[in-house]
Amino acid sequence: MPGGRRCPDCDSTELVEDSHYSQSQLVCSDCGCVITEGVLTTTFADEGHLREVTYSQSTGENEQVSRSQQRRCLRRVRDLCRVLQLPSTFEDTAVAYYQQAYRHSGIRAARLQKKEVLVGCCVLITCRQHNWPLTMGTICTLIYADLDVFSGTYMQIVKLLGLDVPSLCLADLVKTYCSSFRLFQASPSVPAKYVEDKEKMLSRTLQLVELANETWLVTGRHPLPVITAATFLAWQSLQPSGRLTCSLARFCKLANVDLPYPATSRLQELLAVLLQMAEQLAWLQILKLNKRSVVKHIGDLLQHRHTLVRKAFRDGTAEMEACEREVQGQRQGEEEVGDSSLDLPVRKRPASPALLLPPCMLKPPKQLRPTPPVCTVTGDENISDSEIEQYLRTPEEVRDFQRAQAAGQAAKSLPNPL
Amino acid sequence: MEEEETYLEFYLDQCTAQDEVVPPRSPPFSPVTSYDVYIPNPSNPEMAFSSHLKDKETSGDFSSVDLSFLPDELTQENKDETVNGSKDEVEKTCKTQSHQSQLPLPKEQDIDLGLNGSGLSSSQSHLHPDDADSVQPSPEKPTSDPLPLASVASMKPMTPVSECSGIVPQLQNIVSTVNLACKLDLKKIALHAKNAEYNPKRFAAVIMRIREPRTTALIFSSGKMVCTGAKSEEQSRLAARKYARVVQKLGFPARFLDFKIQNMVGSCDVRFPIRLEGLVLTHQQFSSYEPELFPGLIYRMVKPRIVLLIFVSGKVVLTGAKERSEIYEAFENIYPILKGFKKA
Repeated sequence: MPGGRRCPDCDSTELVEDSHYSQSQLVCSDCGCVITEGVLTTTFADEGHLREVTYSQSTGENEQVSRSQQRRCLRRVRDLCRVLQLPSTFEDTAVAYYQQAYRHSGIRAARLQKKEVLVGCCVLITCRQHNWPLTMGTICTLIYADLDVFSGTYMQIVKLLGLDVPSLCLADLVKTYCSSFRLFQASPSVPAKYVEDKEKMLSRTLQLVELANETWLVTGRHPLPVITAATFLAWQSLQPSGRLTCSLARFCKLANVDLPYPATSRLQELLAVLLQMAEQLAWLQILKLNKRSVVKHIGDLLQHRHTLVRKAFRDGTAEMEACEREVQGQRQGEEEVGDSSLDLPVRKRPASPALLLPPCMLKPPKQLRPTPPVCTVTGDENISDSEIEQYLRTPEEVRDFQRAQAAGQAAKSLPNPL
Repeated sequence: MEEEETYLEFYLDQCTAQDEVVPPRSPPFSPVTSYDVYIPNPSNPEMAFSSHLKDKETSGDFSSVDLSFLPDELTQENKDETVNGSKDEVEKTCKTQSHQSQLPLPKEQDIDLGLNGSGLSSSQSHLHPDDADSVQPSPEKPTSDPLPLASVASMKPMTPVSECSGIVPQLQNIVSTVNLACKLDLKKIALHAKNAEYNPKRFAAVIMRIREPRTTALIFSSGKMVCTGAKSEEQSRLAARKYARVVQKLGFPARFLDFKIQNMVGSCDVRFPIRLEGLVLTHQQFSSYEPELFPGLIYRMVKPRIVLLIFVSGKVVLTGAKERSEIYEAFENIYPILKGFKKA
């Protein structure tokens, strides 16, 4: 209580310093009279310069809410890192990224959903930069987010912070993903003949994934289904006798792993590649393998995969150029000639090695809509009245349309007969 | 001096004659072999020039040349002129080098030297530095190792020949806006126009379509209109005018102000598969490749400011252009980069 002052109204000495919001006031505790008012500013600098401060700024409302939200989200970042059992350095990096992102007004003003998704984005970026194999699918399940919302926020934040995010490391992803398959120990659900040694399976899966990468099966596609297919083939080929009867779906169920939808088509593509390679091995040519029997020989094929790929496929790019220069019919003629001149009795062997191209290029080209003839339009042509009138309703049509609309509205407003 | 002038004239005559004849893939030295006939004296003066001009000396051939017959002031004069980089010296140099390398060069250089052939003849006062470099492949090294010509580098480069790729992107979509400059009653438009749909709860504009050119327009109550779907700038303009005419016929005082092309989308096919993983490694600062999200690589080119979607099949989509030339330029910029990943 400051000494020597009296309330001008009731002449009391009981003066209290109180603050009305952030404005300090000297108030008489007897009659409630406000004797003096502080300046309604938040900073000393502002006061010094006698600058106007808006109400929202003075209450610190935004800052408080933002800060508490930020603190909550940062805690979520740390929790997510702990759930994923990431090294402690990752936590700090992810938190730093989040704080950096939060400094941008676009992020601060974003919806809560986006801020929560941003938690996942920061953790993902940190993992990618340390080559820790973490897929977006995993993060989305952990933060209960949709992949589209996640992708939008992810692309935005990478652009906003100007970050260089390296690609997902395929080899590491294979190792972590394969390790999650529950096939390395016998259990009530996994019969003994299905149990497999982890190291053998890992090394073979890695080789198969490398093969897929070389033969254009990985570029442009989601990496996980390829790895699922490769793991399945590796597992089958290590003990084909007992395992050929097991399907991909059953395999994933046994191993307690979700079967990604594209995995079946990746499997077919990989088997086709292996079949092409098998054609090049003399002792396999005679066997006339198909997609089931080739699994037994995957070990051999992988051992010589580099030479086999080189021999089995010719350079797709060179072939495409050749196609452009020669006439179709001419080329077919050459192929036939080539076939007859071959000494090899195997009929299944194609006339020429297959093209090494991504599957999307091997499919027959779509029937393109014939490009409309180049019509020289100047943009300033005369527009005839008749052309415009074809788009307008006649008065009778307008009346009919209005009547129909009204009838429709009436029908909608009627209660449903139950 | 007279000798050189006549040789130069012969050379230039040949160049102008060859101008129309030389296609991009023609054997590069057909003009050169004919020079043997016209230049009986193996161009010794030129060799002196070239030795001054080159930074890295291709020692082999020139050191064996006997320059003793040359008068002193000739070599001195040429030394001075070398620094200025006058056209005579440079062209003589090129003549020298083309004369020197009589070996048929490997195919990769066809286009470069084809360019050079047309370059030298079409512009006598300018010389593209790259062309000049590619002309001087030293006989020992068949693969062209562009030797920097200090004098040539200072010259203004001429416009690059456009047949580098031979592929022209096709325009697929043009988005344009125009101001009709009058308030519109959208309900009335939706009632009186057959080709209009209006659902205020979903979107606050009338969606109108016309058949020729096949386009769609969004017409807002403020009088602003967006026209999409045209395949060329002129078609977009014609379509926008037709929409304006429809609105006019419906009784509104519509005008046609501030027609502007906002976005152009083009696409093309390079016809070879592309290793997107490799491309994102070498061009990290421009590319974004997330196979978990999208099968294509998103390449944000800085100059011109165009976004390209590059797919493994070799198909390329270019968008974000305000002018047709930006699309063509962007494709010409990306094509050599993509070709670099062809054999990978």
